[in-house]
Amino acid sequence: MTATTPTRHLDRPAPPASRLSFGGVLRSEWIKLRTLRSTWWCLAVMVAVIVAFGALFSTSAGFFALDGATREQQQAVVAQSVTVGVVFGQLVASILGALVITGEFGTGMIRSTFTAVPRRGAALVAKLIVVAVTLFVVSFIGLVVSLLVNSAILPLHDISVDFADVALWKTVLGAAVSVAAIGMMALALGAIIRNGAGAIASAVGIVFVLPIVLQLFMTANDSVWLYNLNEIIPPNASARLYDYVVDGRSATMLPVPEGAWALEPWTALLVLAGWVVVLFAVAFALVKRRDV
Amino acid sequence: MIEARNLTKIYGDKRALDDATFTVRPGLVTGFLGPNGAGKSTTMRMIVGLDRPTRGSVTVNGKRFADHAAPLHEVGVLLDAKAVHTGRSAHDHLLAMGATHGIGKKRVAEVIALTGLESVAKKRVGGFSLGMGQRLGIAAALLGDPATVILDEPVNGLDPEGVVWVRTLARFLASEGRTVFLSSHLMSEMAQTADHLIVLGRGKVLADSPVADVISQASGDAVRVRSPHADHLVSLLRGPDVAVTAVEPGVVELRGVTAERVGDLAASSGVVLHELTPLVRSLEDAYMTLTQDSVEYHAGGAASGNHVAPDTQTPQGATR
Repeated sequence: MTATTPTRHLDRPAPPASRLSFGGVLRSEWIKLRTLRSTWWCLAVMVAVIVAFGALFSTSAGFFALDGATREQQQAVVAQSVTVGVVFGQLVASILGALVITGEFGTGMIRSTFTAVPRRGAALVAKLIVVAVTLFVVSFIGLVVSLLVNSAILPLHDISVDFADVALWKTVLGAAVSVAAIGMMALALGAIIRNGAGAIASAVGIVFVLPIVLQLFMTANDSVWLYNLNEIIPPNASARLYDYVVDGRSATMLPVPEGAWALEPWTALLVLAGWVVVLFAVAFALVKRRDV
Repeated sequence: MIEARNLTKIYGDKRALDDATFTVRPGLVTGFLGPNGAGKSTTMRMIVGLDRPTRGSVTVNGKRFADHAAPLHEVGVLLDAKAVHTGRSAHDHLLAMGATHGIGKKRVAEVIALTGLESVAKKRVGGFSLGMGQRLGIAAALLGDPATVILDEPVNGLDPEGVVWVRTLARFLASEGRTVFLSSHLMSEMAQTADHLIVLGRGKVLADSPVADVISQASGDAVRVRSPHADHLVSLLRGPDVAVTAVEPGVVELRGVTAERVGDLAASSGVVLHELTPLVRSLEDAYMTLTQDSVEYHAGGAASGNHVAPDTQTPQGATR
C-alpha cells in the first residue's frame, strides 16, 4: 500500500456528460412500464372488457329501439353502449396503476429507482404521468374500437350512429380521462400501502364496493349529505365525467333531491383531479420520509 | 470520498448504527467488516439516501448524495442483488436505470459484457441464480462509471472464479483512483482485497486502520514462552497490562508484552528459555476478538485474552 493517492488513469472512460433530468426519469419510467408483461396483459384486458361489454350491450339494445326515438335518444344509447364497460376498464386500470409501484416495493426494485433518482418526488411524478398517459391513450383506443363495433351492431336495432356528434366524442374523451384518473389514484394508493394485494384490494374497494355500501346507507337514510358524498366518490364522479350531455342535460341522470349536488362533466373532472391530488400528496409525503 | 460524521440510526429502541465517524478515501479498497446486524448495510443505505440518519450526516465527495446533479456518476451501489424487478430482463433493467441519466444502449452493452452477462441479458431476472443476480447488481453499480463504488457483500453467491473476478475488479477500480467501499463477512477475502479496514460491531466503529494495523491492534503483542521456570518468569512479568494463558505445563502465552522484553528479563534474571515465539493471529481471529469484545463490553469486564484458542495462533510469518 502506498501513502499517496493514485491519480485517475487516462484509460478510464471519460465520465459521460449526461446527468439526471426529469425527461430522463420519464423515459426510464416508460421503459420500465413497457418492459413488463403484466403491463401488456392489463392493457389488453382493459381494451377487451371495454369492447366486449359494449358489444354485449348493443347486441341486446333492441330494448331501447322505441319507435320514433329522437336522434338525441339514439345517440344516448350509442354513448351508453360505448361506455358501459368503462367501470371494468377502470378496475383493470387500477390494478395496473397499483402494480407499477407495488411491483417495485415487492421486488426491491424501488431501491434501484431511488438510488438513480434520489429526489423521490420526481420518480413518483414521472410514474404518474407515464401511467396516466398510457391509460388515457389505450382506453381511448379501446373506446373508439368499441364505438366502431357498436356502430355495426346498433343499426340492427334501428339505432343509427352519428359520428359527427360532438357530445358523443366528449363522452368518449371523458371516459378515457376517468380511466386514467382511477389508475392514478391506484398508483397513489400503491405508494401509500406498498403491498400489491393491499393496494389492489383498496383500489377495487373504492371503484366497486364503496358505491354499493353507500347505496345501502342511502336506502336507509335519504339525507342530502349522504347523497352528496355518493356523488363525489371517485367511481360516481368519474361516471359523471362521461355522461352523455346535450344542452347541459344528462340523458341518464336521475332526478336529484332538493339542494343536492349534481356534477356536470367539468365539475366531475375537478372532483376527480381533487382526489388524485389529495391521494398523491399523501403518497408523496410518505414516500419522501420512509426508509426503503 | 465518503465522509460519515456521527452517523446514527435508531430503529425503535435498537441502535443499528451508533455515532459512527469515518472517512473512505479514493484510490484504496476499503473493507467494511462486522457480524450480521452490526450496521453495515444500514450505513451503506444511508450513504445513498435510502435510509434517513437519526442523527449525523454522510456526504459523498463533499455533498449529500441526493444533491449531486448526476448521482449515478458519483456513486454506483450494489446493496443487494434483489433490488431488481423479477419480471424484467437484465438488459431492460439496466436500460431503464441508465435512461434517468441519459445513459444509452452502448454503455448498457459495455457493463453487460464487463460482468459476463451477455448470454442471459435478455432473460427475465426472476430466473437468475444468486451469482447472476450479483453480477447484474455489479453491472448496475458500474453503469454510471461512478467515482465511488459501494458493494454490499459482492462475493455473496459467487463461484470461486466470480470471487477472484470481484477481487480483481475492486483492485482495478481503486487503481483508477476511485473510492471502493465493500463489505464482506469473509475476512480472508478482505485480507486479499482491502487496503484499509473499517470494523463495525454493534453499530460502533471498532477499528479504522490499514489491514495490517487492525490485526496487530486486535492481537496486541503476544508471545509464547516455553521454560522450565515459566512460573517464576510469569511472576516477574505480572502487571496490569499483561495477560497470561497457561497452555500446558511449562508453556505460557503472554499478551501485552513484547518478545524483546521477555528475553531481556529472562537473561537478566537467569531464567532458562526453551522457546520464545512472537505470535500473530490470522485476520479472522483479530476480527473475532474485536467484535467479541464489543459484545462482551456490555456484559461487564473486557476479555482477558483467554478466549483465544491456542491452536488458532500461528507463529509470525505463517499467515498472510
